[in-house]
Amino acid sequence: MLKRGDVVKLVRVLAETRETEIGCDECFEQLDSFAEVELSGLEARSVMPLVGDHLDRCADCHSTFEALRTAVHST
Amino acid sequence: MRERTNEQWLADLRRPNSDEALAALYDLLVRGLRAGLGSYGGGVDANAEDFAQESLIKITGNLDSFRGESLFTTWAQKIAMNVALTELKRRRWRDVSLQELFARREAANPGPADTQLTPEQLALQNTVLQELRCMVDEELTDRQREAVIAVLLEEMPISEVARRMGTNQNALYKLLHDARKKLKRRMEATGISSKEVLAVFDEG
Repeated sequence: MLKRGDVVKLVRVLAETRETEIGCDECFEQLDSFAEVELSGLEARSVMPLVGDHLDRCADCHSTFEALRTAVHST
Repeated sequence: MRERTNEQWLADLRRPNSDEALAALYDLLVRGLRAGLGSYGGGVDANAEDFAQESLIKITGNLDSFRGESLFTTWAQKIAMNVALTELKRRRWRDVSLQELFARREAANPGPADTQLTPEQLALQNTVLQELRCMVDEELTDRQREAVIAVLLEEMPISEVARRMGTNQNALYKLLHDARKKLKRRMEATGISSKEVLAVFDEG
């Protein structure tokens, strides 16, 4: 059952939903390239908008990206 | 560690005596895991070597799928982060079942209304809440409803929900995308705008 506290969360998610989104597999395929573009100082979201869009809405893929970015930057 | 081009990594890892390249890659993965997941908790430091070992097996077994669109080391670290995070999330959520999650929600009340609201504002909130409940009940399949609650509302990792629902992360993402599109279309057809809803709930 939907609770009062869920409304804002759900409506925000729906407002950001697009007809075309890539899935987690397609995002993962491109995640290394996306990280390198970002670490090079370019705006990765402009170069690979669908990947950036997926990372904004998928917490799992976003955590992998954050870890990868830190790892590559540090090694 | 000596610098290698992508081609040299592939060649060195494919040759029969690949020990030196394997050791270099293992060392890189351990350092990357510690740096990348140091803030995650759950014993990353203690497990970095195990994660690196498991990743190494996966990487060397999938060299043919490396398309050369990034540095080989970035591609390899991507796999290592995925291996480690999958396991860390599994451990963190291992005691949570979807059935318990749903039962807890059913037992909970709908949530307190803001006591500062006027009767008109409260009535409007209740109308919106009721409408959204109808949408979720009428538009979604049981599986979509479960996924929406667990992933979008309870914020459980999609990989962990997928495991419990007998599917995989990518398929569950697509199922959720279909669910979100259905709800969004229904909202638009009903004439409910997200801006208005957020304003009603004072978050606009």
